[in-house]
Amino acid sequence: MGDQPAFTLNIDQNKYLPLDGREVHAIVTIGSTGAAPVQAAPAEAAEVIIIDTSGSMSGSKIREARQAAITAVRTLRDGVHFAVVAGTERAAVVYPGGNGSLVRASAATKAEAERAIGRLSAHGGTAIGEWLKLAGHLLTAHPSAIRHALLMTDGQNNERPEVFASVLAGWSGKFVCDSLGVGDDWVPAELRKVAEAMLGTFDYVRNQGDLPEFFRRLTQTSMNKTVAELSLRVWVPQTARLKFVKQVSPTLLDLTGKRADVNPLTGDYPTGSWGTEEREYHICVEVPSGQIGQEIRAGWVKLVRPDTQDVVASGNVLAQWTDDLAQSTRINGKVAHYTGQAELHELIQDGLNARAMGDVGTATARLAKARQLAQESGREDTARLLEKVVEVDPATGTARLRRHVDKADELELDTGSVRTSRLRKDGA
Amino acid sequence: MTGGGAGGCPVCEAPVLAGDVYCEACGHALGAPACVSCGAAAVDPEGYCERCGARQPTGRDHAEFVLDGGAGALTDRGLRRSRNEDAVALLEMGGTVVTVVCDGVGSSPRADEASAVAVETASAALLRGLPQAEAFELAGRAVTKLATSLDDAPACTYVAAVVGPDGGATVGWAGDSRAYLLPAGTPLTEDDAVETGEITAWLGADADTAAPRVRALAPGTSGLLLICSDGLWRYLDGYAFPTEGTPIEMAREMLRHALRRGGQDNVTIALIPLGEAHG
Repeated sequence: MGDQPAFTLNIDQNKYLPLDGREVHAIVTIGSTGAAPVQAAPAEAAEVIIIDTSGSMSGSKIREARQAAITAVRTLRDGVHFAVVAGTERAAVVYPGGNGSLVRASAATKAEAERAIGRLSAHGGTAIGEWLKLAGHLLTAHPSAIRHALLMTDGQNNERPEVFASVLAGWSGKFVCDSLGVGDDWVPAELRKVAEAMLGTFDYVRNQGDLPEFFRRLTQTSMNKTVAELSLRVWVPQTARLKFVKQVSPTLLDLTGKRADVNPLTGDYPTGSWGTEEREYHICVEVPSGQIGQEIRAGWVKLVRPDTQDVVASGNVLAQWTDDLAQSTRINGKVAHYTGQAELHELIQDGLNARAMGDVGTATARLAKARQLAQESGREDTARLLEKVVEVDPATGTARLRRHVDKADELELDTGSVRTSRLRKDGA
Repeated sequence: MTGGGAGGCPVCEAPVLAGDVYCEACGHALGAPACVSCGAAAVDPEGYCERCGARQPTGRDHAEFVLDGGAGALTDRGLRRSRNEDAVALLEMGGTVVTVVCDGVGSSPRADEASAVAVETASAALLRGLPQAEAFELAGRAVTKLATSLDDAPACTYVAAVVGPDGGATVGWAGDSRAYLLPAGTPLTEDDAVETGEITAWLGADADTAAPRVRALAPGTSGLLLICSDGLWRYLDGYAFPTEGTPIEMAREMLRHALRRGGQDNVTIALIPLGEAHG
C-alpha cells in the first residue's frame, strides 16, 4: 500500500532511578510524516454533521448554524459518505432522509443537503446522547471508513447524567466526534465528556459568526485523516503496574481507563484516527525496586493497527537504578513540561469549580497558582484569561478573585485548559 | 489438558502444549532463551525479558574463559558503568599460556574498541613467540589506528603475561592494570600513575609510551599469577584472597567481592597457575 503514512515513535525520559525509585515517566512522541507518495485513492471516510436545532437556537444563531453546516458540506471531499442530523430532545436525519443511511458526496447530493439545511428551524429541547446515538448508527454501516461526527450545541444537555454516560460508554471508540459550544449557556464539562469518550476535540466558538470557519476547519482536518484507528499497545513487566497513559499534546486526554487487555502484561489504548500530525503521550510505570546498575525495560510501547495487528512503530521505556544523584535527580525536560501542563489544567478546573461552589479561598489559591504556571510555561493566552478571573497585586503578591467576570472569558478558560503548549526549544 | 503438557506460557501463564511454537493465549513465541533474572523462557531478540523486563547481559557485560590446564579469566561490566570497556584474552599453545588485560581509558572515545583491539593484537603476537616489547608495540599501533585525530584518540591500559611450561613467566605493562603473585598477593607491577590516580602510560594515538615495563619470574616459581584491572585491585586492601577452588571459581569469588564493595568500575581477572599444571 503506497498510501500509508510512515509513523515515527520517540521516547523521552531519564531512565535513571534512585535506589528507592519506583516511578518511571516517559513522553512518547508519535509523528506521522504523511509521506504518502502518491495517494492511489483517498481513504474512505464517513461524516455526520450534527446541528443543535433546539429552541434556544432561534434567531441569528440558527442562521449561523445553517451556514456552518452548509460550509461543512461544501468542504466534504466528493465520494465521502455523509449525513446531516438535526438535534433536539430527539435526533432526526435532515439529509439524506429516508432509510437512515449515509449518501456519497457529489455536486448533486451536496446541493440537496444545502437545501435541506436551509429549511432547519429551532424548537425543542437538547439531548446530546440521542444525537450521538443516531450518528453512531449511521456510521456503523461503514466499518472500514474513517468515521467522524461534528457536533455543535448552544445549550445544556437535558438528559439524565446516567443516560448520557451510558450512551458515551456504549459508543466510545466506534467513531471520533469533535464538538463545539456556542453562546453562553452550554456546559464545557458536558462536551469535555464527549471529547474524552469519543477521542475528539471540543472548542468554544466565542463569536457565533466564526462558526462556519470552525466547521470548515474541523471537516477539513477530518478529510485529511488517512488511518482510521491506531492503538497504543503498552507492555509492562509482570511485577510492574501501568499507572497512567495520557495524551498530553495537542490536548490532554486521559486514556488510562480505556485499556483493552491484550494479555495480562499488555493493554491497548485507543488513539482514534490519524492524518499528518504529531501527538505526545505521557506514560507512567510503577516498577519494583531494583539493584544498583540493574537495567530493565519498564515499558514496551507499540503503535498498532487494530484491524491488521501490524506494528507500525515501537520503542522502549527503560529504567536503571543508580546511587549517582546527579543522574537520578535529573528530570527530563519534556516530562517536566507536560507534568506542569497537566497540573495547570487541574488547577484551572479545580479553581473554576471552587469558584462556582462559592469556595473563594480555594478558588483564589488555585487560580493564582495557575496564572503563575501559565506565565512560566508560555501559555500567554491562558495567562491573559486567568488575569480576567483573578488579580494579583504585583507588590504584595496577594491574589483576589475579580468580582465581575465575563461569562465568555470563563467559558474560554474552562474549554481551553485541555490544550497544552509545546516545550520550547530553549528548554524554558 | 491431559498429559504431554509443557506447563505454562512464560509470559501469560496460560497452559501450552508440548510442541507449540506460540502461546495460544497471548501469542508469545515459546522456546525463547531463559532470563538470567526471573528464569522465564522469554528473552526477546532485543535482549529484554518479556516477563520481568530485565536487560540480559551481553557477551561483553560478562564473559568467562577457561583453559584445559586450569587457567581461567573473566571480565564483567561491574555495577556502575553502562558498558564494559575492559577486555581480556587467555590463550594457550604448546604449553605456553598468554593472557592480556586492557582497560579502556574512560575519558577517551570508543575506549571499548581500543581495549578489544589491543588484547587481540598483543595476545596473538605473544602466542607467536614475539617478545613483550614487540607485542606491546603492535598493540599500540593497532589502537593508534582507531584515532581520527589526537583529539579523537581511543586509549587503554595494558598488562600481559606469558607463562612458559617451566613455570618461568614475563609480565609487561603500561598504566594501572596489575599483576600479583598469589597466595601471598605480592605485587609484581608498579602503576604508571601519579598520586591522584591519572595514568602516565597507555596505548593510543596520544600516548608517548614507547615500551612496556617488563618483569620476569624465574622458572620454578610456584603459586598463582593474578592479572587484573583496577576494577578489582581498588578493593584489595586487606582482602584475603580465596585459597580454594579452581582458578575460574576463585576469579568468580574475587568478582563477587568487587561487586559487594560497590563494583564502581569494570572488573577483569585472569588467574594462571604457575609450576606443574598451569596450562
